Amino acid sequence: MLGFSGVSIFLAYILCILSTVFCIIYGVVMWNKDK
Amino acid sequence: MNIPLLSIIIIIYLLVIGYLGFLGYRGTKSDRDFNIAGRQIHPYIMAISYGATFISTSAIVGFGGAAGVFGMGLLWLTFLNIALGVAVAFIVFGKRTRKMGLNLEAHTFPEFLGKRYDSKFIQVLGGVVIFVFMPLYAGVVLIGAARFIESTLNINFVLALAIFSIVIASYVIAGGLKGVMYTDSLQGTIMFVGMAALLILTYKSLGGIIPAHQALTDMASRVPESLAAAGHQGWTAMPALGSPLWWSLVSTIILGVGIGVLAQPQLVVRFMTVKSNKELNRAVFIGGIFILFMTGAAFIVGALSNVYFFNSSGNIAIAEAGGNTDLIIPAFINMAMPQWFVYIFMMTLLAAAMSTLSSQFHAMGTSFSRDIIGTGSRTSENEEGQKPRNGLLVTKAGVMLGIIISVILGYYLPISIIARGTALFFGVCAAVFLPMYICGLYWKRTSKAGAVSGMIAGLAVSVFWMFFVHKANASMLKLVVVLTGRESLFGFPWNAVDPILVAFPLALIVTIIVTLFTRPVPAAVVEKSFK
Repeated sequence: MLGFSGVSIFLAYILCILSTVFCIIYGVVMWNKDK
Repeated sequence: MNIPLLSIIIIIYLLVIGYLGFLGYRGTKSDRDFNIAGRQIHPYIMAISYGATFISTSAIVGFGGAAGVFGMGLLWLTFLNIALGVAVAFIVFGKRTRKMGLNLEAHTFPEFLGKRYDSKFIQVLGGVVIFVFMPLYAGVVLIGAARFIESTLNINFVLALAIFSIVIASYVIAGGLKGVMYTDSLQGTIMFVGMAALLILTYKSLGGIIPAHQALTDMASRVPESLAAAGHQGWTAMPALGSPLWWSLVSTIILGVGIGVLAQPQLVVRFMTVKSNKELNRAVFIGGIFILFMTGAAFIVGALSNVYFFNSSGNIAIAEAGGNTDLIIPAFINMAMPQWFVYIFMMTLLAAAMSTLSSQFHAMGTSFSRDIIGTGSRTSENEEGQKPRNGLLVTKAGVMLGIIISVILGYYLPISIIARGTALFFGVCAAVFLPMYICGLYWKRTSKAGAVSGMIAGLAVSVFWMFFVHKANASMLKLVVVLTGRESLFGFPWNAVDPILVAFPLALIVTIIVTLFTRPVPAAVVEKSFK
């Protein structure tokens, strides 16, 4: 998976991206809400 | 390396820093301006300043080098840094901290906690903890930066240390937190560009994302026997569950730093610098991306450096660096990256050191004046404008004192103790501040006695565990060796458990239990805090 041998590392890699995506979506949604 | 060209780049950079420091100076009229940037900071500046303060050279070079040894398992720390260090910190803690800090007119983290619990003792002890332990953390960054300047510009170490300290002191003392945060925003932007470019160039040089990971996976058979015996299973897998390497990685690096960031005084104060929660919402967006590219890039590149070194010289990263993990990232940059990027990376490291140090010096100065001496902390912000600026003078004296102590500690303490400075500070802050910080924000019933008991228990257990049990610290601090002849009072796995994992839960339990049996904080104080 993505070239990793361990499921744990694959999960960490994906979670890093997903948590950043959450920060982006949260920021954009709240930005529009705060306007 | 073209020294004249690098010198010109650094001079231009310092001139811009000087201008930003001057802008901070021009905008600093009161204690509130100096201590918390007037509560008017732009969300971009706040988010980048938070990230740049959090990420020092040791996060890039030290932890990046650790990824060269441990592998990609450090990405769990990147996940915690984004999920806890940005999302939870800004959304769950930051908003309440900003509002409560405004209600209580607090300018420092210990003052915030002291006023929340109506306890001068908490404020003073908090200030003392910062003033005793933070110079150790600052010493790590300061000495690392001076060594880096010494080697890149070929100048004397003491001269490098003196120039570096004076440059930072000048804009912290003149511009206060505004000067610190304005310069942070430039430094953080440089860091972001440098690390994003490093990640892209590394993946590109190794044939793309998946081929690079696959090449590292295929190197599992190259793990040295000594590391394999300690639990290493290759650079794209976690160490064997429960092995010594697993405990080091999970307990000290991932959880120790991942949790420790939530109670860093110089970071918490950032929440009090913005006007409203709108700014914090926008800062989440920027902070998440920034931290992903800072720690994510450092850890991925550190691990992938094994592929580059093996392809070019047949060695793994730690062998190429002569056994010193701190040399893995610099060696990789010098050998694998184009010459133009070496200059960008030099500026990235300089910016990372300066942004962390300036905030540490500012936090030490404000703690000295507001928390330990008590200057201005009982004055209303509305009255502040009519008062003489004695508070600022004491704060500036505190900044100078903090810098002098950091330089002396960094210069004279043995390198083995200085190397533990970051872990010591993170561990103590989490144990001392985090339980009563969480309870103070979300449990109105928390009592002064509960908070004080948790604080003392956290400090005592944390220091005891560092000096007598946690082998990585205890064997360096030597006290347990002198008293017992052993490197730790307990055997494995207890001697591999980071102090934060013992002291923080214990302090939290003590805070809760004592609170249940003691009188709550006066209703008027609670009402003012939560209004």
